[in-house]
Amino acid sequence: MPPDDARTADVAPTWTPPAPPLVLLVEDSALVASALRILFEETGRRVRVAPDVAAAVAACADEPPALMLLDLTLPDGDGLSALAGARARGAAPRVTVAMTGHDDPGTRQRCLAAGCADVLVKPVPARELLRRAAEWLG
Amino acid sequence: MTRVDAPQALESRLSALESQHHEAARLIAELQGRDALKTQFLANISHDLRTPLTAIITHAEILRDGILGELTPRQRDSVTSIISGGRQLLEMVGEILTYARGAADQLALTPTELRIADVIGRVRTLNESLVEKKGLTLSVTVADDIPPIHADAEKIAHVLGNLLGNAIDFTPPGGRVWVSARQVGSDGRPSLLIEVGDSGIGIAPEHHDLVFREFAQVDASASRQHHGTGLGLTIARKLVELHGGSIWLESQLGEGSRFFFTIPYRGAPPQHAPPV
Repeated sequence: MPPDDARTADVAPTWTPPAPPLVLLVEDSALVASALRILFEETGRRVRVAPDVAAAVAACADEPPALMLLDLTLPDGDGLSALAGARARGAAPRVTVAMTGHDDPGTRQRCLAAGCADVLVKPVPARELLRRAAEWLG
Repeated sequence: MTRVDAPQALESRLSALESQHHEAARLIAELQGRDALKTQFLANISHDLRTPLTAIITHAEILRDGILGELTPRQRDSVTSIISGGRQLLEMVGEILTYARGAADQLALTPTELRIADVIGRVRTLNESLVEKKGLTLSVTVADDIPPIHADAEKIAHVLGNLLGNAIDFTPPGGRVWVSARQVGSDGRPSLLIEVGDSGIGIAPEHHDLVFREFAQVDASASRQHHGTGLGLTIARKLVELHGGSIWLESQLGEGSRFFFTIPYRGAPPQHAPPV
């Protein structure tokens, strides 16, 4: 192999495509999580599921997600404490959105005050969720 | 009975009455405790029912929207029916939850300055497809000079949605449904008066009180034709009363129904609506 070619081969960067954005689903219902997993994976995102606060904080510490969808009622506590826990470890998600069955204004204010970008009432229509996800992940 | 025995007899009677009184008080407390438990159970079960329903609806939407591949038109129709049924059930579960919260005095108002025309407009938009599907005529009349009112927009929308939904449900195709709003009361206690009327089947006067009672539907066969928990008007009354207003109806069998509710202005309302 001529020297010139060898030099070119040495300096050429190894290009790897960027990993698709990671969506962390913090949801204790396996049925709901499976629906959301299909929705995001089929539209080109990576998905991890955490069924409780502790798993959510650990998942954020492992790889801070681009988007965390957060159920508020979790077996080991208030969903918002997952966001606080991730922040405390310096592993906050880029965007956190609460998804809840409680559609009262008090819950909404509590989520926004805790740092959620939005609060959605379940079930969010699939198309609507994808449209919004595109904005959050944009 | 001799005169000597009279005080003793009285004392014994008094003691029996006291004992009965204590027993009645104990029973009332026990029943109240059980009622509170029942209400809490309703709230818990309603909340828990939402989760599997959410999964059913979202999975069905994934199929309907072709995210896992295109469906044939008949497959799409079938899946769309699953979604409609699921959303209908979800609405009923939400109604039970609101009722349980109301019964437990856990409903709180979040008032803002609102324009009633905006709230009516929102509710109208939500019901337009149903109105069109049944071939009804829906008209809305809102007086121009209504000042904004301090009230909970979501809860007023809930009341309006319930009344309008009933009006649509109980009016045969080709009928008329209307909503109007105006300010009433010039004696220093002004209120907003909202009417939701229809040219439908009507309600006999002897049933006017019954319709606001929980789980009541005037005609048992009505529940077969018109879906619902029988809680809608009970909740509507609770929400109106939380605002300090009242709700009533005027109706005769076969001559349509007119439901009215008032929301009082707190303090002096602005004399004129600010420019739009």
